[in-house]
Amino acid sequence: MPDIDIDDHSDVWVFIEEHAGEVAPVSWELLSEAKGLAEELDEDLVALAIGEDLDDVAEEAVERGADKVLVADDPVFEPYRADPYGEQFRYLVEEREPDVVLIGGTHTGRDFAGRVAVPAYAGLTADCTELGIDEDGHLEARRPAFGGNVLATIKCERHRPQMATIRPGVFATADPDPDHEGEIEEVEVIVEEADTISEVVERNVGDTADITDADRVVAAGRGVEGNVEPVAELAEALDAELAASRAAVDEGWIDGARQVGQTGKNVRPDLYVAVGISGAIQHIEGMNDSDIVVAINNDPNAPIFEHADYGIVGDLFEICPELVEQLEDVDDPAEVLA
Amino acid sequence: MTDQWTVVVGIKQVPDEDDVTIDPDTGTLNRSGADSILNRPDRNALEAALEIKDQVDANVIAVTMGPPQATPVLEEAIAMGCDDAVLVTDRAFAGSDTWPTSLVLASAADYLDADVVLCGEETTDSSTGQVPPGIAAHNGWAQLTYAEELEPKPDEDQIVAKRDVEGGHEYVAADLPVVIAFAYGENEPRPAGLHRKIYAETEFEPEQVTAEELPIDTDRVGLAASPTQVGGMETVDPVEREQERLESPAELLETLAEEGVV
Repeated sequence: MPDIDIDDHSDVWVFIEEHAGEVAPVSWELLSEAKGLAEELDEDLVALAIGEDLDDVAEEAVERGADKVLVADDPVFEPYRADPYGEQFRYLVEEREPDVVLIGGTHTGRDFAGRVAVPAYAGLTADCTELGIDEDGHLEARRPAFGGNVLATIKCERHRPQMATIRPGVFATADPDPDHEGEIEEVEVIVEEADTISEVVERNVGDTADITDADRVVAAGRGVEGNVEPVAELAEALDAELAASRAAVDEGWIDGARQVGQTGKNVRPDLYVAVGISGAIQHIEGMNDSDIVVAINNDPNAPIFEHADYGIVGDLFEICPELVEQLEDVDDPAEVLA
Repeated sequence: MTDQWTVVVGIKQVPDEDDVTIDPDTGTLNRSGADSILNRPDRNALEAALEIKDQVDANVIAVTMGPPQATPVLEEAIAMGCDDAVLVTDRAFAGSDTWPTSLVLASAADYLDADVVLCGEETTDSSTGQVPPGIAAHNGWAQLTYAEELEPKPDEDQIVAKRDVEGGHEYVAADLPVVIAFAYGENEPRPAGLHRKIYAETEFEPEQVTAEELPIDTDRVGLAASPTQVGGMETVDPVEREQERLESPAELLETLAEEGVV
């Protein structure tokens, strides 16, 4: 085991994930949350951006509270690949010795976090939903375990940095403050294209829906049996974002960016309508912050009804169109929905 | 590199999550009633490995790290069609978090001269998904996570994966050796053949490999070498819901209007 002097490590880092100039919302969620952690630890809040043409991203990170932004700007980082990202990030971690490193629990974040944690011999906790600092100044990373029935607290007392990936949608985002000041530093890029061991041949990315800050969410589950249409129409009639359970995503009916639950995103809308969703605990976990939950399912014993405020037992293929029709009868849905 | 690919599939025995219960009084986990099963996502990894074998000349070896009691998952892999199976076992491994676990599996992949390492997306008992990238990082190999389709390119010593990314897909070509985490549920795992099943259960004995044979310095594995520790567990209080049954869509909309959300 390496000899690590914990006191040599300081600063709370947040990885700013961006793809072709578009920042993943979880990055800003983490920056907001990490500000409190940095204050508690009396350390600086540092944003780290890796990619190409990052000037706007760096400036926004300052407005959103970063004391310092480290920018690794080079074509080698666009589009994302695990090996150059991991290598560059590892270099910066070893050179600058941060105390805490937070990364969004997206496919990208979960893809490369281990490539940093392993060579740095850092503790890495997956998919956290709560963060805190204990009395000795160690990060307490909490994550659901055993299908969401328990919350496990993971600590890393003898290694640094303390790394964690955090599920999207768990933390709220604060508004940017244009008057906030911070330093932007271009760091040395140590990765060369010739050394990479992977190549992105083709990338087809369209729908990068953000369901995490929607006011209304309508989610489809296995019960739709491949026919998402009635649920999508209900979502439209309610001016809601369409979401899905893991089952519906795994079947390929709905894009993974819209998955609610343990391996997907957390949502916190005013209204959550679960259609044809049985209510596995992993799904409940992702929607439990919703204000009002409605369940539509033909199985009266489906667990979802225990986690819903209002439930209708019945055929979703009849109930959804009826709801749509009645919503359309309203002269100005927007007014009623406001 | 030899012509025949060696495909190593990392699999794990886990408690059946459907059987794990919580004692409501103490808030502790009761795993004693739970059956031990093959981690479900690993079936997709096994299928992906066997599909590589269907396409190119490959030797598929299932590997698990665990106690000898984990042997049944190796037998399942053999029954599905793996050529061989290895139990990586040592008391020194007990209590390992993802850092030492991926070190052990990385060393095993090296020991077996792997060209491709296939893993499930994550395990159902700890669901970190950190081990496959950890294996790749320990060995400095390429990695392809959230892979949904694979295309072996033996002439280029590469594999191309269709990866699920936020809002779409990408195709990534990675140089061998490569570690692949195959996405859960993205293929149809083949059933075990009857003859293979009988062979796996009656004749097959997995090779056992210890830390010394890999070789791994035992100071780098186990609980003491794990950077993370579990600091506590608390049960999650259920959110109180009304649980009211309504009869019709009209009644639902009326109620939601009263609640002020519609």
